[in-house]
Amino acid sequence: MNIMTTAIIDGLRERMSSAISVNQSVGIILPGNNHPDLTQALFEYMYGKPETAWVYVTIAKPYGSIVKQFGDMLTGEGNIRFIDCVSRALGRYETDPNCVFIESPVQLEKMLLEIMTIFRDLKGDVQKYLVIDALSSLLLYNDVSLVAEFFTHLTNRTKLEDIHSISLSIEEEMEDDVNKILYLRSDKIIKVRESFI
Amino acid sequence: MKEDGAYAYSKKHGERKMESEPVTEHKICKTGIEELDLKLDGGIPIGNAVLMVGSSGSGKTTLSMQFLADGAKRGERGVFFTITEPLFKLTKNMENFDFYDKKLIESGMVNIIDLRIISDRLGLDTEKYTVEDASALLDVLKDIADELNVKRLVIDSITALCYRLQSKEMIRNFIFKLGASLASMDCTTILTSEVPPNEIRYSQYGIEEFIADGIICLGDVDRRGDIIRTLQIIKMRGTAHSRTKDAMSISSKNGIELAPLLKSGG
Repeated sequence: MNIMTTAIIDGLRERMSSAISVNQSVGIILPGNNHPDLTQALFEYMYGKPETAWVYVTIAKPYGSIVKQFGDMLTGEGNIRFIDCVSRALGRYETDPNCVFIESPVQLEKMLLEIMTIFRDLKGDVQKYLVIDALSSLLLYNDVSLVAEFFTHLTNRTKLEDIHSISLSIEEEMEDDVNKILYLRSDKIIKVRESFI
Repeated sequence: MKEDGAYAYSKKHGERKMESEPVTEHKICKTGIEELDLKLDGGIPIGNAVLMVGSSGSGKTTLSMQFLADGAKRGERGVFFTITEPLFKLTKNMENFDFYDKKLIESGMVNIIDLRIISDRLGLDTEKYTVEDASALLDVLKDIADELNVKRLVIDSITALCYRLQSKEMIRNFIFKLGASLASMDCTTILTSEVPPNEIRYSQYGIEEFIADGIICLGDVDRRGDIIRTLQIIKMRGTAHSRTKDAMSISSKNGIELAPLLKSGG
């Protein structure tokens, strides 16, 4: 990894870290080509906080490809549980004790149920975090109004349950109505720009 | 009502109640499905007969078995009368669920009885019932429930039972007799009712709902070609229940689970 990429990831991690420590729900809007750097920053951040519990909902790519990329940080009794919404829709029927596979990204209620079940089953008083990667990817499979309703429901529920959330959104996939909801429902919005990095 | 005509608000439910209105306390039979019990304001009032309506594969049998398994864990004996599925198939399917424990059957806390075997033993034609046959079967059903002192009873399905009767009049008489029989028992009953998919009706013969104290509809909505299972309580005597439609999930770990159905999605 070159010095430039390391600097990008360090910068992202730092901004995320300070945002999530003071805000309950953080929205991150980023260009698609920055998505790999941001996910790396996120995984490093989660890995560095073993005392916290994370649920990572992946809609942008299959769990299998995340494992290939960040496997070192995900092995063993980790602090990250996954909900994969795309593998089954692609016809892949793998199983993994660390991941719940949902049939399709259209099953939004099932997604909510699984998120809440994982957090409910957590033992001990741990700080809970949720990552949605990415809210905008849901738009590829669902109507805009449904995604907006889902996100409203999700943020209300996570706030009630004292769960911190980070919702990623890829600029190129975004629709105005969901953008509005993301702004409205997030306590803090981080906009990732090439110029910022 | 106060002198100034104002209403008092119940803190528990946040609903408007007149102060002079007597508060009726119903004893509750928990279904074992947390979200459903919340929607039922605690559970099904004890003694109610509930019609569980749904098309094939909607989750009627699973929900009914979870209801019995939960009762057994609370020390309430239950009986499941099946007429649609053979016993071995039924128990094999249930083995996939964490709520199911073979010991519940072995200990006699959950009893599964094939009505076709009973019919056979009574010397009845298992495919066609006369009025007398149906009456005899009802008597046996009641005797079994009394003898086992069951608190929870399931008949799966009332549709298949009525299908064996030869005329609408016989079906009507049988259903009313069944209703009277259930009312005399001290147990909470689920009667499953099969309806064709995507039809807004509660029963095959249009009469089953009249003997029911409660109706719970299991359906589905189509979302971009995917089927989302749903559950909605249509009526439940004796409880201030929710009438909203929920998305229903069936998983081996938790059995039936409910989440509010997103309104924008069908």
